[in-house]
Amino acid sequence: MDWFNRPDVTTVCEKVPLRVSELSAIIEGLLDNPLLQDILVRGEVTNYTHHARGHRYFSLSEKGGGNTAAVIKCVMWRSDAERLSCNPSEGMEVIVSGTIRAYAPHGSYQLQVKEMRKAGLGEKFLLLEQWKKQLAAEGCFSLERKRCLPTFPARIGVVTSETGAVIHDIRTVVGRRYPLEIIISPTAVQGEQAHREIAGAITRLAGMVDVVIVARGGGSFEDLFPFNHPDVVRAIVACPVPVVSAIGHEVDVTLSDLAADLRAATPSAAAELVVPDRIVLTTRLQELKSLLNASLQARVAWARDEVADMRDRLRPQRFSRKLEERKQNMADLSDRLERAFSNRLSHEHLLLAEMKTALDSRNPIAVLARGYCVAEKQGEVVRSSDAITKGDRMKIRFYDGNSQVIVERVDHERNL
Amino acid sequence: MATARLSWSVWIMKETYETKIEQLRKIIEKIEDGNTGLDDSIKLYEQGAVLVKQCEVMLAEAELKITTLSRDA
Repeated sequence: MDWFNRPDVTTVCEKVPLRVSELSAIIEGLLDNPLLQDILVRGEVTNYTHHARGHRYFSLSEKGGGNTAAVIKCVMWRSDAERLSCNPSEGMEVIVSGTIRAYAPHGSYQLQVKEMRKAGLGEKFLLLEQWKKQLAAEGCFSLERKRCLPTFPARIGVVTSETGAVIHDIRTVVGRRYPLEIIISPTAVQGEQAHREIAGAITRLAGMVDVVIVARGGGSFEDLFPFNHPDVVRAIVACPVPVVSAIGHEVDVTLSDLAADLRAATPSAAAELVVPDRIVLTTRLQELKSLLNASLQARVAWARDEVADMRDRLRPQRFSRKLEERKQNMADLSDRLERAFSNRLSHEHLLLAEMKTALDSRNPIAVLARGYCVAEKQGEVVRSSDAITKGDRMKIRFYDGNSQVIVERVDHERNL
Repeated sequence: MATARLSWSVWIMKETYETKIEQLRKIIEKIEDGNTGLDDSIKLYEQGAVLVKQCEVMLAEAELKITTLSRDA
């Protein structure tokens, strides 16, 4: 320390003292750190108190070589304590999840516990919850990224144990429904390192197959646990082709099941989902075949009808019938004409005959025949004795001839 | 270590079975459509018959093949 640096000392003296509440606020601010939020802590329960109001107070401690190496105060509020799945007791090894909070009135900090489980199995459950949250935040389980299975896969990849019933079941179903190429990507399906192997086995299939089945037979929660591991879940999400999961029994849902594009109840069911059924395909093809035949038959029948219809319209009988009609019309007309004409003619005949009779009755020749004759002078009928004088030449017409005469004397009636 | 080669029949299945079925449906629709001439319909029918045959062969020739990948690839 520099004893001679007096101004420095004065600076210290000039510092304004913090109020306790201000200091508390700073500490609180420091504790508000993501590293201390929503964390998992493992330890032994000590000083456990079940408060009358339902809150639980206790400490988590870690023993180191007989002495307590570290302790942290914990509180679990009633609302969270009500959801406790185990009954905590003194000395119990537990895993808790919670957040560090400063508690100003006591000048202490404590872990506000949300969940508590017995270590061992409980650890895994808590881990599962953590992973689930984390992977959900990454979008691993989002429905939008679920893909449809290919209708006609050429090759299917199976990630499972090389031995055991699972691969046998899948082979059987695929062989029965639609035999195609199965690529087995073998892996251990349980054990401490299984998650790495499973993830590797999924990744290895990339680019080789059209669809992947990740399958495992039934087992305990711990047996299936590797399928909850983020490595496996992320490998499923990253798989370039759709993934069908069939892990454990239907009641066991692993995170892999949630991430898979489709979840099957059993490995056999997965195989059924993945390959089409040849019998169904054949039936459909036969249906299409008969539909094809029927369609052409219908088309030909239609064409035949069309031709028949046109032939009908072009038929000569039809034409001649039309001609016949015209002829008939014509005949009718000429008939009428003829009838009208002949009527007219006979009428005329009658008229003529009447006129002839009338004419005959007035025929001058007939009068002459009765003994009369007509005198004509210079072509004109002489109607009066005044018209002639002595010496005139006249023509006397008889009924059967005429003669030329010269007038000798004219006697007028008045003179007689 | 298995190679990633697709067998010929499997490749055909993947690439064309669906397409062929789709073509077949289209052909049937066209024939049923009154606007397609008889000549064209007969040609379409012939094409359809070939497709049916091909699809039948594809379904008949499928076979199971099992390959196991090496674990340390």
